[in-house]
Amino acid sequence: MALVQIENARFGYDGTDIFRDLSFTVSKGEIFCLLGPNGCGKTTLLDCILGTHRLREGSITINGQDISTLRSGRIAHHLAYVPQTHERTFPYTVKEIVLMGRAAYTGVFGSPSRADAELAESALETVGVQHLQNRPYTRLSGGEGQLVMIARALVQETPVIILDEPTAHLDFRNELIILEKIVELVRDTGVSIIMATHFPNHIFYFENKFIATQVALLHEGRFLDVGSPGETLTENTMEMLYGIETRIMSHSSDGIEHKQILPINTMDIKYHA
Amino acid sequence: MSAGPSWKKIVTYSVLVLAPVLCIVLSLCLGRYPLPISAIPGVLLGKFSGGDQISEMYRTIVWDIRMPRALLGALVGGSLAVSGAAFQGLFRNPLVSSGILGVSSGAGFGAALAILLFNNMAATYPCALGFGMLAVFLSYMIGRVYKKTPAIMLVLGGVIVSSVFSALVSFTKYVADPYEQLPTIVFWLMGSLASAGYRDIQFAGIPMLLGMAGLLGIRWRINVLSMGDKEAHALGINTTWTKGFVVFCATLATAGAVCVSGVIGWVGLVIPHIGRMLVGNNNTVLIPVSISLGACFLILVDNLGRILTGSEIPLGILTALVGGPFFVYLLKKTKGGGW
Repeated sequence: MALVQIENARFGYDGTDIFRDLSFTVSKGEIFCLLGPNGCGKTTLLDCILGTHRLREGSITINGQDISTLRSGRIAHHLAYVPQTHERTFPYTVKEIVLMGRAAYTGVFGSPSRADAELAESALETVGVQHLQNRPYTRLSGGEGQLVMIARALVQETPVIILDEPTAHLDFRNELIILEKIVELVRDTGVSIIMATHFPNHIFYFENKFIATQVALLHEGRFLDVGSPGETLTENTMEMLYGIETRIMSHSSDGIEHKQILPINTMDIKYHA
Repeated sequence: MSAGPSWKKIVTYSVLVLAPVLCIVLSLCLGRYPLPISAIPGVLLGKFSGGDQISEMYRTIVWDIRMPRALLGALVGGSLAVSGAAFQGLFRNPLVSSGILGVSSGAGFGAALAILLFNNMAATYPCALGFGMLAVFLSYMIGRVYKKTPAIMLVLGGVIVSSVFSALVSFTKYVADPYEQLPTIVFWLMGSLASAGYRDIQFAGIPMLLGMAGLLGIRWRINVLSMGDKEAHALGINTTWTKGFVVFCATLATAGAVCVSGVIGWVGLVIPHIGRMLVGNNNTVLIPVSISLGACFLILVDNLGRILTGSEIPLGILTALVGGPFFVYLLKKTKGGGW
């Protein structure tokens, strides 16, 4: 049974629609990637799934429950969220930040318990930054900060984690660390991931690691295609989506095939339109 | 190992409660008529009730003059500081103070209007309280675009409402009788606890205590709110309700404080920062620490105001004169605590 089911989703501001007729399902232990150019509505779609915006039409169900009927406290039991950029304000310690993931389990006038603190420590250990727990999180590097945000999502103990461009602004190594962590989490905990990304190669990376992966290409408010990375990410769809000429490459090492997409050059934007 | 943190907790909270109590006891001794500290326990416990003149005078000074003033100072200081801390977290902005949503200018106008119309101090309290709450309500309604209350719109609403009420205060000053009403208005706006009595505590104590209790209750959620609306929502918090509750409690506390003490700046801006330098940013600790620090600070500054010169120095002036250098000293000492 599908864990997350989205049917005929339509949303927009004022008179115009940002997207419509979007349908897809996400199963347990699956990574669902949203790919599309800047401003195509990826983040808006994620906001609708999180319940920040309400769909104009269609439905979003998680574990068989329509999210429009759920209060934010209940939605947070099903979905955790890792933001694209997190504006750091007060220098809370890393542990205090991770503990905020327990808000949905804490009474209105309560604060996290010792059990919650242990959960936060083990989540920090899972993502490998336990040594940072007493540091002010305003002084972390971009990669460390993103790992802490993932730890905060983990203590929410949800079946689904939503990541909005989790590797934006990260260097080459930190980018790979985040991708490895996502693969590890899906393998070890069976969590499902919905992820917006700008990098087709990230999607191939998951498939190369034998993780169940789906990709949806969001183009002008509709899905151009939804399916497995190998079938969906083609030279043809890249041309339609981004107006660029690409080659799909494959490199074999240790008997495992690694697919990659290689950009060649941009094409005439008039032709693209 | 497991006993460690809970001991630390007990010690911390004892200090937080004891510090204002000590400040209150100290302020019972200080003044134009100094009392020896050794006489205080006797007076407080009701001994010396033999009826001789000295003990009768001690009783009057301690119970009728200095005690209500110290208690009111503690309540006002705690209220202003805790509202400031809560608003800073809510608006994710360290430059925000307890008056950000216009409560001080609203209350100022209410008091000025009451002085102008009724020429009677008894009418100023309800007027100041009412207009203070009205100002925040107006700011909140202005901020409610799109049926949500984004922090930046609330601040904008507060700025607009504050400037309108400031203009109205100027207008009441302009039309006030310059020999009696105008000085009263001006002195009220400078802030003072000089007229404090038990009636003030009865009237303003309830909103102040309710507001402080509400903020103490919701304090951990202020951490979560400071992550921003979208994240706080995704973490499972009803942001509209929670923000409304914080604004309501902080307004109750501030309006209660302003209506009896006048406009006392500085406390609601800087005491929370001093708290941050001492104990960090976690509101679970910062909120109670702000209450305690604010209470101590205002009692001590009020004592200075009483004893420094022959006539009293208005509180609003002294809080800044004393607090400013102290703040700079702490900033140097703690290197700002991670900012």
